[in-house]
Amino acid sequence: MVKYVFKRIGYMFVVLIILSILMYCIYSLIPSNRAYSDARTDVQGMKQQLRNATEAEKEAIFQERYLMYQRRYGTDTNNILLRYLRWVGVAPNYYGQHNGILQGNFGWSQEYKDTVLNVIREPMKNTIFINIFSVILALAITIPLGIVCAVHKGSKGDQAVQVGTIIGYSLPSFIICIVFIWIFCSLLGWFPPSGMKTPGSNFTPWSWKWFADRMKYLALPLITMTFVSLGGMTRYVRASMIDSLSMDCIRTARAKGVREKTVIYSHAWRNALIPVVTLVVGWFIGIFGGSLIFENIFGLNGMGKIMIQALRTADVDMIVLLQVFYVAVSLLGNLIIDIVYGFVDPRIRVSA
Amino acid sequence: MKKNGFSAGDGWFARFFRGGSRKLADDVEKKREEGVDVEEIVSPLKMIVRGFFERKLAVIALCVLIAMFLVVFIGPHFMPKYYDSYNEVTQNNVPPTMSMLSVPAELKIDIKMIDSYGSFSVGVSNAGKVYVWGATQLGTTGVDVKDIPEEVRNAKIELVAAGIDHIIAIDENGRVYGWGHNGLGQFGYFDPEKYPNILSMPDELVNGTIDVKNVKKLTCGYQCSAILMNDGSFYLWGNKNTYQNIEKFAALVQLEDIDFTLNYIVGLTEARNAIFTGTRGLYDQYRSNLNTAAQPSKTYLDGRKIMAISAAANNVCAELDDGTLCFAGDFASNSKPMPALHDGEKVTQISAGNYHYTALTTEGRVLSWGSNTLDQCEVPAGMTNVKKIYTGAFQSYAVNSNGDLAGKWGLKGYLFGTDNRGANVFQRIIQGGRMTMTIGAVAVIISTIIGIIMGCISGYFGGKVDLILMRVTEVFAAIPFLPFALILSSIMAQMNISENNKIFLLMVILGLLSWTGLARMVRGQVLSARENEYVTAAKAMGVKEFVIAFKHILPNIVSIIFVTLTLDFATCMLTESSLSYLGFGVTYPRPTWGNMLNGANNATVIKNFWWQWVFTSLFLGITCICINIVGDTLRDVMDPKSDRDK
Repeated sequence: MVKYVFKRIGYMFVVLIILSILMYCIYSLIPSNRAYSDARTDVQGMKQQLRNATEAEKEAIFQERYLMYQRRYGTDTNNILLRYLRWVGVAPNYYGQHNGILQGNFGWSQEYKDTVLNVIREPMKNTIFINIFSVILALAITIPLGIVCAVHKGSKGDQAVQVGTIIGYSLPSFIICIVFIWIFCSLLGWFPPSGMKTPGSNFTPWSWKWFADRMKYLALPLITMTFVSLGGMTRYVRASMIDSLSMDCIRTARAKGVREKTVIYSHAWRNALIPVVTLVVGWFIGIFGGSLIFENIFGLNGMGKIMIQALRTADVDMIVLLQVFYVAVSLLGNLIIDIVYGFVDPRIRVSA
Repeated sequence: MKKNGFSAGDGWFARFFRGGSRKLADDVEKKREEGVDVEEIVSPLKMIVRGFFERKLAVIALCVLIAMFLVVFIGPHFMPKYYDSYNEVTQNNVPPTMSMLSVPAELKIDIKMIDSYGSFSVGVSNAGKVYVWGATQLGTTGVDVKDIPEEVRNAKIELVAAGIDHIIAIDENGRVYGWGHNGLGQFGYFDPEKYPNILSMPDELVNGTIDVKNVKKLTCGYQCSAILMNDGSFYLWGNKNTYQNIEKFAALVQLEDIDFTLNYIVGLTEARNAIFTGTRGLYDQYRSNLNTAAQPSKTYLDGRKIMAISAAANNVCAELDDGTLCFAGDFASNSKPMPALHDGEKVTQISAGNYHYTALTTEGRVLSWGSNTLDQCEVPAGMTNVKKIYTGAFQSYAVNSNGDLAGKWGLKGYLFGTDNRGANVFQRIIQGGRMTMTIGAVAVIISTIIGIIMGCISGYFGGKVDLILMRVTEVFAAIPFLPFALILSSIMAQMNISENNKIFLLMVILGLLSWTGLARMVRGQVLSARENEYVTAAKAMGVKEFVIAFKHILPNIVSIIFVTLTLDFATCMLTESSLSYLGFGVTYPRPTWGNMLNGANNATVIKNFWWQWVFTSLFLGITCICINIVGDTLRDVMDPKSDRDK
């Protein structure tokens, strides 16, 4: 098992390295030059000192500054591999310093004029909170629903749920968002359509009022996110439950005269859990990408919104870090899936 | 087994495709009638088709899907006048209606005058009753111009005119009424101190009366109105922001004629030698027809006088004292030129819509020309005894000497309403559907090709090749789909490539990011298929392994690929829609179902302009649901396990 896990982790690193090279090359396509704009700002800032300078002198000072910034940021070379290594923090820059991701330098957001890590701290918290909350909510609904549907397979209720779920997972999430905003904000007026808190309010964090206010604003996004995940999840739970209900061990258990409840919740459900657990992990990753749309529609201060903003303003370092975040989440998820598979299914462990 | 038209055996649909020996089939039938249980041998494909058509829901979904495809791919051929960047400010956010030409029955037989500027029309009968029809709900204001005020209903109205969101009426006693939206000085008194951007309605109109017999013209524009008297004096009021030259006109005392284009007020001064705009260089190039060369006003007129003017949105038609017409301003290149008049025929009445003109000649002919994008110029044949013509925004009405409606033509309305740019939502849905489906289909084809090649090679050859290819697959599978697609398309947007290439690249991106699932599945199938005897046989015969993998094994798993392809098609469509919705896929003016919903991301639009998102969502949703139902049913039917419990 240990060997298996290490093998998986090894694969993960290979994938990560390949992906990061790939992504670095893609990001270098974005036309953005921090050194250039910094040098320009510097020269403009020196207007007083350069009052009597000629154009040529100004240009010389600009070139000097430009080179300095390029060296500082490690972009003073056209060799993309070297730039990549500097970005990672493996190769030293002009001054012989290692200043890359491995040293904790994730970059500088030109839009927010702050380090990317600082900008991202708050949205990250929000995104993780929203996602975990909606996953828990969705699981609490889908698992019982899926089991009931599987047990009463073919009944009227099951068929209704089948049609409902197919609609649920076929509709794009933004349409569901629009419909929910229309129902809950326009028709019923229960929730505010967007935002994270009442504008102008200043509650002390973690006080009761703060929490109530926040929940009022987050309720609709959470309901929508949960609803969107219901369709696929219920179908999956139902399918795996049906599979495990047709297993021989179930027939044996029934033949033994075990109570039906025990057969379903103890024998069948445990077998059905194997694919469900892996699905939950995979789906948890998917939801991080999917929350992009929710955060944008509901105006939530999360990673997805930051990302769209960064894309609109070509804030390169920001995009890179967000992408690293998404890739890391997804790789980590894959790793967890593999390991969980290994734990629950001995066949996989052996064949690996 | 349930029997319906599609089911096997005696169903016509099954018989339609049944081949082979008729005699054998009859034998089987005979035996069955005798009560002998005969088991038919059917090929797997037949089983699948049979199983599929037994499910009503799936059959319905398939039919809807096919209908959707037909509508989306054939529909555009019926819309030759459609173009992507169509923009019409007077038709913004018009709700679904087909009543823009529906003159009320009471008015039809007793027409005094009809007018319109935007999405609704107003008419007054000889009895003095006012009627309003068309899209009368005005956007977010909550005003319905159909709610005619009590005092107007009680008065005998002589003249009416419609603006973009208000109506002005004058009754027989000379009282001036206004109703509709009134936030921007459309009628009533506005304190100039408090509202510097509003030219208030003159006091004598608000509180007093005018001599209605002496009113030469009542006309309304975009939140502005004017009353011209026979003696040349005139009243002008409204929103200063909508007409740049309103101050110039407010300073005048005398005018022979006045009218509103979309952005300028045009007038005729006593000199009658030019169209007065108060702005240098505006409407001073005249032409004899829409498609002829323009000349400076002095050269063109050559001493002739202008008798009257009528203004469309971007151009003005002037009637000269020798009975000819001349035009000033801009015309769309696809405008229909004015038809030639017969010898000695003269235009007796001319009336301007927003982009077209309608005229009545001395021979009683009715002519329409100008822009024909919304069928404004399709004059019906067979109108006789036409005495008067009235032209509104995109509608024209001909009235005979009894005051009856002789004919009406032009824009009926919009089936699905219009969007915030005034474009027809229905047409955009059809055009957008073609784009969305094409992108989905091409992306799915790309991803299927990659997936099959990767899966086949990896599954068939195994070993190191498998290891490497599966790592590659893992790399692609680890890329978080939506964020990555967003980044790629935003990079693409910043590069200088043409719109068509961008769309093609978008398809490639979608295809490149979504093949991994299929590759893994194909690999799994090939892994099990390569142990079959026919593969061993092929190997023994010395068939190239490449051929074995793609020609021998692949056809055996093609049905499963087909199911994945169907489901992936829906996924690709949804991804494209999500990207376009976020503004990173296909962008305006090109419509797709995703970017058409882009405008619906705020509560105001969702609440007030429901037609802008409901129909698009329905089309997108129904298509995806149908694809998924078809795909799911196919998978169910192909899975031998699923039949066991039935």
